[in-house]
Amino acid sequence: MKTEAPRRYPVYVPKVPRTWWLRSAPFLRFAAREFTAVFAAAFSVILLLFLSALSEGRDAYAGFLRWLRLPGIAAFSAIILAAVLYHALTWFRLTAHIQVIRLGGKVVPRGIVVAALIVVWMVVSTIVAYLHVWF
Amino acid sequence: MSGKSVALRVGRYRPEHAAEPYFDEYDVPASNDMVVLDALNYVKDHVDGSLAYRWSCRMGVCGSCGMMVNGVPRLTCSTFLREFRSEPIVVEPLRYFPVIRDLVVDMTDFLEKLRMVKPWIIRGEDKPVEEGEYLQTPDEVDDYKQFSMCINCMLCFSACPVYGQDPEFLGPAVIALAHRYNLDSRDQGRAERQRVLELNNGIWDCTFVGECTVVCPKDVDPAAAIQRSKVSTATRTLRSVVWPFGGRE
Repeated sequence: MKTEAPRRYPVYVPKVPRTWWLRSAPFLRFAAREFTAVFAAAFSVILLLFLSALSEGRDAYAGFLRWLRLPGIAAFSAIILAAVLYHALTWFRLTAHIQVIRLGGKVVPRGIVVAALIVVWMVVSTIVAYLHVWF
Repeated sequence: MSGKSVALRVGRYRPEHAAEPYFDEYDVPASNDMVVLDALNYVKDHVDGSLAYRWSCRMGVCGSCGMMVNGVPRLTCSTFLREFRSEPIVVEPLRYFPVIRDLVVDMTDFLEKLRMVKPWIIRGEDKPVEEGEYLQTPDEVDDYKQFSMCINCMLCFSACPVYGQDPEFLGPAVIALAHRYNLDSRDQGRAERQRVLELNNGIWDCTFVGECTVVCPKDVDPAAAIQRSKVSTATRTLRSVVWPFGGRE
């Protein structure tokens, strides 16, 4: 929204360098948080390839599993895991700022909200891992 | 601090002398209880009377003396010289704002945006004075009190890279104050403010860097105000679509 009226006095308008996100550790952490979303997207692509292979039958699926085990792809998957963990944990921390939870008229402290989110996440992950191993 | 003096490196902009800003360095006699503003006042009184900067209350209430101190937006009246181990201490005008002179920035953009969100209590119809005040419970006060502590010092704007990239962004303090009045049980002006908050360059431009909250000297937490404003806007929009009769309360 433009609010600037013409000025009757000279001003110096500083330029923002493209490397502003390198200026401080918090900005760098922010940039890292946003950049790790690219890896979350990459995982979605792998998931789509997985579904596509699954729909094409047994051979395609076996081929997809072989592709997943290629050293390069396995290493990339490990990077994806690390990036998505960073992305998820940083967002859990921020969620506590956004969502105010009241219990018995009192605001639940942020640390407890973050811890609860992590516990729920670990429980769901354990259930998924259990289903994956046993079915 | 070396001995009893401290070196200051102060940003200068004097358009009648130089087209670009430059730095001047000053040695200021320092004591343990001096703040950056005291050092600037010493320079102004004893070394260089041409130095221009804003200040008023000297007690972190008026919000006038915000400047970049070693690259971080701070109220200079609350920033002690003893905090800094290395010298010189670099004092610059608040980042992202047009500089008028030395450490004085142009606040017009901020003030215009502030006016756009109508940071006052709006009533559909005022009740007559004889009927008394609009009463609130302590819980209703608690809902918005934190966001009402804003002193318009603009440190959050200088900490916000989104505002730096796009000066048309409404900005942290402005959205926090809009949210403050939206949360006030006496207010009926949400619809008028929402029109501004939901515009391009409104709440949805915020990418939640979170530095506005870190630098806020009054613990207003503008980042939380913006995200909660997003949540309440999205919830209301969703409710108006899926709920019968537009989800009106």
